[in-house]
Amino acid sequence: MILYDFDYERPGTLQEAMSLLRNSGVDARLLAGGTDLLPNMRVQNLKPALLISLGAIAPMPPQAGEDGSIRIDALSRLADLENSDFIRREIPLLAESAHAVGGNQIRQSATLGGNLCQETRCLHLNQEHDYQFAAPCYKRGGDCCYPYPGNKPGSCWSVYMSDTAPALIALGAEVEILGEEGTRSVPAERLFSGNALTPLLIARSEMIRSLIVPAAPAGFGWGYHKSTLRGGLEFAMANMAVTLRLEDDGETCAAARIVVGAVSEGPLRASSAERKLVGKALTAELLSEAADDASDEINPLPHHGFTRNYLRENIRVYLRRTLTAALERASGGII
Amino acid sequence: MSELNFVGKSFKRKDGPDKVTGRAVYSEDVKLPGTLIGRILRSPHPHARIVGIDTSKARALPGVKGVITVEDTKGVKHGFVETPRYPADQEVLARGKVVHVGEEIAAVAAVDAITAQRALALIEVEYEILPAVFDAERAMDPSAPEIHPSHPKVKEEYANIGGKSEGGWGDVERGFAESHYVREDRFESQVRTHGYLESQVTLAHWEGDKLNVWTSSMGNFVKRAKLAKTLDLPYSAVRIHKTYVGGTFGGKIDLFSHEYCAARLSILTGRPVRIVASREEIFSAFRHAQPLIVEVKTGVKKDGTILAQQMRVINDAGAYRGSGVVVVFLAWGFTMAPYRCPNLKYEGFSVYTNYSVRAPQRGHGCPKVRFAIESQLDMIAEALGIDPIAIRLRNARQPGEELPNGDNVHNGNLPACIRMAAEKSELLKKYGQARKTPQTGHLRRGIGIGISAYFGGSLVYPNSSGVMVKMNDDGSAIVLTGAIDVGQGSETIIAQIVAEELAVGMDDVKLISSDTDATPQDIGAWVSGMTYITGNAARQAAGNAREKLIQVAAEQMKVPVEDLWVENKEVFNRRHPEQRMSYAQVFAASVATRRGDTIVGEGFWRTMRDEPTHPSLATTKGRWTENYAFSAQVAEVEVDIETGEAKLVKAYTVHDCGFPINPALVKGQVDGQVSMALGHAFLEEVLTKNGYTLNPNWLDYRMPTIHNMAASEDADVITEEYRVGQPYRTKEVGEGLVSGILAAMGNAVYDATGVRLYSTPFAPDRILDGLKKLQLKQAAEIRETTTEMQWSQP
Repeated sequence: MILYDFDYERPGTLQEAMSLLRNSGVDARLLAGGTDLLPNMRVQNLKPALLISLGAIAPMPPQAGEDGSIRIDALSRLADLENSDFIRREIPLLAESAHAVGGNQIRQSATLGGNLCQETRCLHLNQEHDYQFAAPCYKRGGDCCYPYPGNKPGSCWSVYMSDTAPALIALGAEVEILGEEGTRSVPAERLFSGNALTPLLIARSEMIRSLIVPAAPAGFGWGYHKSTLRGGLEFAMANMAVTLRLEDDGETCAAARIVVGAVSEGPLRASSAERKLVGKALTAELLSEAADDASDEINPLPHHGFTRNYLRENIRVYLRRTLTAALERASGGII
Repeated sequence: MSELNFVGKSFKRKDGPDKVTGRAVYSEDVKLPGTLIGRILRSPHPHARIVGIDTSKARALPGVKGVITVEDTKGVKHGFVETPRYPADQEVLARGKVVHVGEEIAAVAAVDAITAQRALALIEVEYEILPAVFDAERAMDPSAPEIHPSHPKVKEEYANIGGKSEGGWGDVERGFAESHYVREDRFESQVRTHGYLESQVTLAHWEGDKLNVWTSSMGNFVKRAKLAKTLDLPYSAVRIHKTYVGGTFGGKIDLFSHEYCAARLSILTGRPVRIVASREEIFSAFRHAQPLIVEVKTGVKKDGTILAQQMRVINDAGAYRGSGVVVVFLAWGFTMAPYRCPNLKYEGFSVYTNYSVRAPQRGHGCPKVRFAIESQLDMIAEALGIDPIAIRLRNARQPGEELPNGDNVHNGNLPACIRMAAEKSELLKKYGQARKTPQTGHLRRGIGIGISAYFGGSLVYPNSSGVMVKMNDDGSAIVLTGAIDVGQGSETIIAQIVAEELAVGMDDVKLISSDTDATPQDIGAWVSGMTYITGNAARQAAGNAREKLIQVAAEQMKVPVEDLWVENKEVFNRRHPEQRMSYAQVFAASVATRRGDTIVGEGFWRTMRDEPTHPSLATTKGRWTENYAFSAQVAEVEVDIETGEAKLVKAYTVHDCGFPINPALVKGQVDGQVSMALGHAFLEEVLTKNGYTLNPNWLDYRMPTIHNMAASEDADVITEEYRVGQPYRTKEVGEGLVSGILAAMGNAVYDATGVRLYSTPFAPDRILDGLKKLQLKQAAEIRETTTEMQWSQP
């Protein structure tokens, strides 16, 4: 139960919704699937005075552009993406990452845009504070960050845990953002500030309208893994998305993207590990070294009871396996 | 009775249709007009003196109908244990100080939830923060902050001791001296919660002279006694109604503050008051299970025979006594029951810490004790070069064996369980393979065994169950039983027993259950005794009704009673089977000729009928149980040696549950316990920091889901021995099977990896750390060998 008063609007068009968002004069939030916003309101981590439901606005089906890129409406339900034959065929990495989210009921409601706009998470942040903790944590308006060693004031050690964001970054997707001035477009990886207090570089008067995923080039391979303890119905210990492109020789790496999420304020690219691969013939040893490099390069925040050391190990092993799967796909081994 | 028609058969559950169609009424579904919403103000500090409470602003808020603090109570304390040695120790609301985060300080009743929430924010409490302690061993240190004074009868110089249990026999020092091999190990466990899906919910309605209560419970007569006592009402003024209950697992016994508060607020406002605990409240302020530190020293002969065992158990019992002193008593029982041990010395301390109070949880300490002993026994076996089956068979108690406390295991057959478990799982063929033969890939399989013994229906208030069987004039029957079906299937079992004894159909038996006004007293669903105690009371009651029917029929048919028997709702003459009367006819005759006797059968049962009272929690003297259920369980696990991730792949359970009244329900209990144990082994842990719960939700406290389930096979031994003549010699099957399998999983992880884990859960980082240490050790050994070889060269 959400134990405070707030207003609720359900506009029929996107224009009305955006107008309400800009002009309501109160702290307003867009409500899409609600699977992240409502639980955060329930524990009073977020307390918008107005909810603008997008429930009356139907998402457009995925559309292929002339250049082979695919536009996906941000209001698309995760379940619709993971179950769409078109998406599974054209962007299997996105389907896989959408499938990794929560459980089926969550995915039937949650949207892709909402998944990207989710609140950061921390054992201290996303729970009721009415008697838990003598004072709220820093992100909730208090003075200190509880998980930060020594409760350092002015910090926030919460992590951004979207399962789809690493996939979109690895795919090189563009994000179309609807705002006062019309639509602007940014690469997915530029969506993130690296600051857990305001993890997304989106103004409160803006909304993510669609995602544009470029066409998969020849020699393309992908890998995705979500590390969890339970294997479902949970946020990730770490998640990782990898894309590789091979030269025509079928061996040499033309391009690589390695993205690790859920262990920092935003998804992280392992750039030096990527560079290590590009231009080289990909062997098991090289992929293993790249995974080691990426694991060293990425400095995971200890979160949700997982230690930094263990997260590093887990990322090291699963990145190697994920890279291996990507290479197999790129060289036609598995689809 | 020659042929069994109802008991021993897997009838469908009586409550099944209601539950799967959503018709089942749980406490939260009971609606009364004018109901107020109650909420509890909880302490934000783990340890603090309450300097003052000002409720005036909350009382003045429109819509607030009642506010209570401890000043509005009768000041009657309650406790899980209430004995002369361990008197009630807990107020229903905090008085003077709070001792854990979430402790109840005040309660409000308001017209709706938001008003109640606002009222809570208006209650001003001034605290003086006190130092707190969150580690049981630190809390024992005389210099630690004092939560409560140590129990006066505990002689050791320890602080914060809520109680101590001691037990044993023989001379352990001599036993160790005579031993060929002695080892000492220490095991620890995490805090786990019960994970009942239905929240803690109470609706209370005071009607001037009667308090009606609907509450999520596992023992309505216990609830009634404690509510009446703390409210200073006669038992007859308190009625706990039957509702369906969505799981308990030990976590809903005893009185909870919100139950008292709902009742008191209803008395004060004259309106029904409902309090529903949020899941966060359940995780951060309600009761979890006890984490134990178990130190065990064992001495054995060369052949593995146990000569002496010394146990020291430390229980982090939380901020009040709770069931803490019971766990340290039970840990003695779980130690001594399965294996012969000529010299035993046991001591267990229940220690106060600034955590929420602890409750029993399915197994009540047994998993932690068996994890320790069974792990160590495998280490001993390996050191002696004996296999895990042989060492267990060497020490297992035999049928008919008398225990040093005066109990007898009767025909409980642990050796048969061990042998069958070994055979079915092919343990000896598989054991050690992962460590002996060269392996490829990153997955390792391992197999391990653990055994356990559990009690059934021990003496605890209210100590006995009564059942009444009322005949209807059409020959069907109504059963009045206080038994509460919390999902274990008691209503189905009782119906089967009555149908059997009375020779009527399952649909002819209707139950009125767990209503403290309408049904006889019952032990409740919490000492693993319902099928045995209430089941036998039901047998007696149905038998009593049958005798009355036969008596009346004998008069009518002019046939000696001995010649008559019953089948298909008829009494018939065994010598002339065509001569028979329907129950309806017998009933009519009874009313006509026996001054209106409507034929009501009565039955009752109590365990250990000649034992005056329960055993001493402090000295362990006195008998514990007449129902030892033994089990042997084998686990096969798979470990990813690169990530440390481990899972249960297959479980084999061989148990001696006595006669299974309903084999499908027995199977359900087995599978449920295996799944609960795998949560204990690999997933679940209540994370805390400074007394605050960090993962108070289903997301971050990971209960296993359907995808984590493992294949589970089970078999019962010696069932056939019971079938003839003893179809009601039932034993325990609802709690004991969370233990051996936990130990088996620990032993299987070792078998797969060579990593011995001394604490639960078997988390990936722990396994990985263990693997790394092993690698370092092996590398050092190789270096040593190489150096030796170099030196030995001429």
